[in-house]
Amino acid sequence: MDRRTFLKGSAAAALLAPVVAQELLAAAGPVVAVAEGADYQAITRRAINGVGGMGRYVRPGATVVVKPNIGWDRTPEQAANSHPAVVKAVVEECLAAGAKKVKVFDYTCNDPRRCYMNSGIEQALKGLKKVECKQIEMERFRMTPLNGQFLKEWELYDEALAADVFINLPVAKHHGLSRLTLGLKNIMGVMGGNRGFTHRNLATALADVNSRLKSHLTVIDATRILTAHGPQGGNLADVKVLNTVIASADIVAADAYATTLFGLKPADIAVTVAAHKRGLGEMDLDRIRVVRV
Amino acid sequence: MRFLKPTSARISQWLFLALFLLLFIQTEYRGIDQINAAVNGFFRADPLVLVSFLLAAKTWSRLLLPAVLLCLATLLLGRFFCGWVCPLGTLLDLLTPRQRRTRPLPWLGGNLKYWLLLPLLFAALFNLNLAGLLDPIAILLRGLTFFFYPLLGLAAREGWVELYRLIGEQRDSVAPAYLLVKQYLLPFRETLYPLSFFSAALLLAIILLERLETRAWCRHLCPLGALLGWLGRLSPFRRKPAGLCSDCGLCRELCPTTFDQGTLNREECILCMECQQGCPYQRISFRPVWSLTPSEPVMPGRRVLLGGMAGGLLLAIPARFRQPEASPLLLRPPGVQDEDAFLKQCVRCGECMKVCLKNALYPAAWQAGWEGLYTPLLIPRLGYCEYHCTLCGQVCPTGAIPNLPVEEKKRQVIGKAVFDRDHCLPFARKTDCIVCEEHCPIPDKAIRSREVRLPGLDGVVRTVKEPYVVEEICNGCGICEQVCPVETRAGIRVYPVKDRRPITAAASVQAVHQIEKLPY
Repeated sequence: MDRRTFLKGSAAAALLAPVVAQELLAAAGPVVAVAEGADYQAITRRAINGVGGMGRYVRPGATVVVKPNIGWDRTPEQAANSHPAVVKAVVEECLAAGAKKVKVFDYTCNDPRRCYMNSGIEQALKGLKKVECKQIEMERFRMTPLNGQFLKEWELYDEALAADVFINLPVAKHHGLSRLTLGLKNIMGVMGGNRGFTHRNLATALADVNSRLKSHLTVIDATRILTAHGPQGGNLADVKVLNTVIASADIVAADAYATTLFGLKPADIAVTVAAHKRGLGEMDLDRIRVVRV
Repeated sequence: MRFLKPTSARISQWLFLALFLLLFIQTEYRGIDQINAAVNGFFRADPLVLVSFLLAAKTWSRLLLPAVLLCLATLLLGRFFCGWVCPLGTLLDLLTPRQRRTRPLPWLGGNLKYWLLLPLLFAALFNLNLAGLLDPIAILLRGLTFFFYPLLGLAAREGWVELYRLIGEQRDSVAPAYLLVKQYLLPFRETLYPLSFFSAALLLAIILLERLETRAWCRHLCPLGALLGWLGRLSPFRRKPAGLCSDCGLCRELCPTTFDQGTLNREECILCMECQQGCPYQRISFRPVWSLTPSEPVMPGRRVLLGGMAGGLLLAIPARFRQPEASPLLLRPPGVQDEDAFLKQCVRCGECMKVCLKNALYPAAWQAGWEGLYTPLLIPRLGYCEYHCTLCGQVCPTGAIPNLPVEEKKRQVIGKAVFDRDHCLPFARKTDCIVCEEHCPIPDKAIRSREVRLPGLDGVVRTVKEPYVVEEICNGCGICEQVCPVETRAGIRVYPVKDRRPITAAASVQAVHQIEKLPY
């Protein structure tokens, strides 16, 4: 093989490689990328690159919603909210991929001012151009038909509905009712109305909402996880530092893998099971390709 | 307009009114846990607050040092506060008609202000501190807080929401401007308050009175003005000449408060210096005269004094009546441990209700009896006490709500939560819920749940999580009651308790220990 042929060959390979990889990924079930390390921004980027890079999800000019968990008036180390460094890295990746606008918000449980402030997320995103970190405005919830098994309709946030790309960015933590709260549960942050109502049949309700509002990419912040007294915690003894970020285009697969970090099986989490049955993704760990990056 | 002439007194009035409004707007959480210490400054410098606090609480608070200084300044200079500082006085001056009416209203004359002041002070001595109800600064603050500011906020919000209905997402293009105004001027949440109409009516009545007689409120009614006038009459600063000149008499027209009898009434002179500025002959001066003989009698008269004492006593005893069913609803702000001590110290100024992060505090209308009118009540169904927030203690001018560090405040007991099994879903409907447990901010969870297997209302046996309260570590913040998804009456309610000693670390450990031993 002369040099010219070699170069041509490698150029072709370089061009085709992502396509080939994509084909392979599709054939072998969903990929869950898992990155570990103490630099949270770096591991977030590695995890995203592990599932094809942000360019695969965010086209230039797209409007992106990044939905972290900002639900509680807690500090980052208490593991009740998504880590600001992880949020910032995801937002920056969106911008690098050419996003027209990135909107970051959550319908908080505690006072929104305190949550945005003390989660560190508002501060982390300050000064970034084309990025909005606004509090929820009640008039923007829109009654949306879901035709689900439990919820026939519900108020959802218009910005989430209108976005080209919806990136789900939960923190992995314990929850009193659903045992764990991960990507599927994090969708509650775009729901308005009497949210507590859904607790009567939480797993089905969340499957209903996730069927309507799909997460194009799920990035689970497991840099530190809350193992008990969730979803708020408050006691550092309940926090376990794992320095891990998980990414997947398949929200159920991401949740299923994250469940194992707590020593539980995906089948232990009713929400995961309900979403899998609904065809929202894969929960069988044997069919999920875990890529450590 | 006469008022726009920038004399020293006018400039001072404008500055203090601007300061008052600035501090008013600042009395809100704006991203920093520690609020500007000056926001309650007008009340801490208020001699009426000081005197009624000393009489009722019979103790001293360092917070009220500025009021002591103002008393001393008044002794030295006279009743300058009313003409140079008081924001309500300035507001009245701004709203006074062009043609001032200086003839006194006959039905307001005499010793009326002492008939208001003395019973209030004597009632305070008999443990009923109502002075704040008629304090001019409190009247102004309550009118703004409970009526005008929410009105402004609501108008802005409705307009903003309407814009969304009209142009939808395109509204985002002007969002930065709105958010800027919202951040620096508008209230974060437009809360509707009980007594809002009454608060506004009281303020408007004072303003209306101004149309009948200039500074009528200040001259004939204001208990703070009466107190300051009484202190100020000992001041060595005197006007020369004391009366009207025989060839002129312009002072009678220039003076906003006194001179209806032809001589300057020193307890009503607010030192605005209008007469000095306006005198065509430059005859008038204010200068110290070192004489220890007061120009007027020191006491307003024995009859008023005795009447005031009797009035105070008559006010103090029957006002304590309280409906028995009201008591189980009286939740006080965090850190208030004793209801009686609280009532003696509370000014009813409205600062805590203005600042409350989640708008959990509302003025008591009937709930706490006459005695408790305008005192703050926590109504969890409307707003809960935010776990890490210490703002109400920070703004309380007398320390009736103690200013505690956040770690201590978190352990303060407002009340205890109790489940109502007729409403709580897991008990009443046999379905899962525990939204209350999810929201409970106590790190070890004062609301927990246990799994029970029982037949549902449809007869199918299933596992349901039944919640329970760990009373030892519940601080009664009320978030459980607030978020309870039952739309009728909440399935969990916070009730006041007598023993409001803070939760100790030991109790917390013990409680958790006991629970783990229970055979669930």
